[in-house]
Amino acid sequence: MNLFLLNAATNSLSDYLPILMQIFMAIGIVAIMMGGSHLLGPKRKTKDKLANFESGIKAIGNARQPMAIKYFLIAILFVLFDVEVIFFYPYAVNFKELGAEGFLAVVMFVSFFLIGFTYIIKKGALKWED
Amino acid sequence: MKAIIAATILGIIMMYAGFVVKEKKSVLSIATLLFVLLLGVNVWELLTAKPGETQMFFNFQLTVTPFSLWFNTLMTAATLLYVLLMGNDIIKVGKHVGEYFALFFFILVGTYMLSSFNNMLIMFLGIEIISIPQYILAGSDKRNLKSSEASLKYFLMGAFSTGILLMGITLIYGATGEFNISKFSFLQLEQVNPMVLTGVLFLIISFAFKVSAAPMHFWTPDVYDGSPTPFTAFMATIGKAAAFIGFIRLFHTSFATISDSWTMVLAIITAATLFVGNITAVFQQSVKRMLAYSSIAQAGFMLFSVVSVSALAWQGLVIYTVAYTMATLGMFAVLLKLKDYTFDGFNGLAKKNPLLAAVATVFIFSLAGIPLTAGFIAKFYMLQTAVAQGNLMWLVIFALIMAAVSAYYYFRVIIAMYFKTGDPEMASELSGIDKFLLVLTAMLVLLVGVAPQILLPNGI
Repeated sequence: MNLFLLNAATNSLSDYLPILMQIFMAIGIVAIMMGGSHLLGPKRKTKDKLANFESGIKAIGNARQPMAIKYFLIAILFVLFDVEVIFFYPYAVNFKELGAEGFLAVVMFVSFFLIGFTYIIKKGALKWED
Repeated sequence: MKAIIAATILGIIMMYAGFVVKEKKSVLSIATLLFVLLLGVNVWELLTAKPGETQMFFNFQLTVTPFSLWFNTLMTAATLLYVLLMGNDIIKVGKHVGEYFALFFFILVGTYMLSSFNNMLIMFLGIEIISIPQYILAGSDKRNLKSSEASLKYFLMGAFSTGILLMGITLIYGATGEFNISKFSFLQLEQVNPMVLTGVLFLIISFAFKVSAAPMHFWTPDVYDGSPTPFTAFMATIGKAAAFIGFIRLFHTSFATISDSWTMVLAIITAATLFVGNITAVFQQSVKRMLAYSSIAQAGFMLFSVVSVSALAWQGLVIYTVAYTMATLGMFAVLLKLKDYTFDGFNGLAKKNPLLAAVATVFIFSLAGIPLTAGFIAKFYMLQTAVAQGNLMWLVIFALIMAAVSAYYYFRVIIAMYFKTGDPEMASELSGIDKFLLVLTAMLVLLVGVAPQILLPNGI
């Protein structure tokens, strides 16, 4: 636990100044780019240009249609396993230092995920036709 | 620590048992067996622990004391009692029976973490582990619109209050640079910094939401009313006790030194909770909804243990949670036997089923705090801690008035049962085991009322 972030015993409000500056930078860049292109760019409005961009296909009907719950289920499950992958990056960086103990911890973590994964398959959450 | 591992593994076993065993009754038998096993693990851990010794785990993130082990054992025993009392109703709620029991195991994992955390991140994890299964349980009756409403409301508001909790943790971390709640920098917050005060306020708001204290109680009646009745019983008892142990642990170990700056806020919240819970319960027509408001009112009494910072408060909380859990579980078990949940549904129960009416009377007496029942001694402990505190006399007097108000709506059930005529419709007949368990629960309520020291063994 020698991460410098966890060692914030002597902090004050002035330590947060870089964060404030970064926020202003982020807002500023977006504002300048959007405002600049709005002011400087030529404007030739046609009906086709003002229409919503739908991958080149003409928009038909209302977008708010009921959708099968399966899509949401797949999306949620994707997020779940995506998070698992995120944990592998810090592990890959510290692979050598963590040694056998770290390997066992990660194996345990992955096996819990696999238990969940087999549960999902057995429950039929990934079955597309019903 | 052993209990946390055991509960996790048993929960996973339970999850998979639903695939292997198709018969609902068999799933219930397996669940009962596993809960007995978990209770055994808890007792084993309690007996092998040396008195007064604190065990540390995970780099001081978890400190297991004999008190937390004792609390865990009591909560596991309460869950076992709950499964025995209402098992037949739990398996009727829906198709995924194995999962319901698995979720109870996971809630117990959260409870164990909340009774022994030493780090605010573990506290956050514990709060989430008890909350998320409760969101699912609230919506487990999928075809019922009310159940879905309850689940969605609970989830959205719960997620919001979790956000406030995280903000509070962040502010306190920003001021102290520390997550460990028993570290020096945490305990020596003498020169009170506005960041800490804001953080403590956020934590109070979030915990008040989790224990359904006014004015953060608005989700409670709808959620408790909409959820399937057996799961309401669990959420109102063990779920609430778990949130309380986390509340008292955080506020008494870390913020005791700055108690002057937050006890008044919490005292006002307590008074508001007692007022709203008791006064609104008077106007209810449904006993289930009345029990929801009564759980708010009882949370007001439990908040006394957090308001008064002393060692006595911890003992009081143990007695109160056990007394309240037993009486409420018993009352919900009686409610499940009836078809009509309104007060009129209880009319004439004493003639039709004298035993059911008699045990219901014991539970009602305990909830109202009549002497010789557990509820009386629990309320006595709570008020005693507040009197010992010294400057909370106004709150004690207010609580006594509110306890008198509570007798009105509690005794309406007794009046309906004994003094009104009617023919109550039963949802299911009482089996011999049901009778035995109901009488056992009533006996336990009386036993704790007569001899409360059995809940406070030496060295706790």
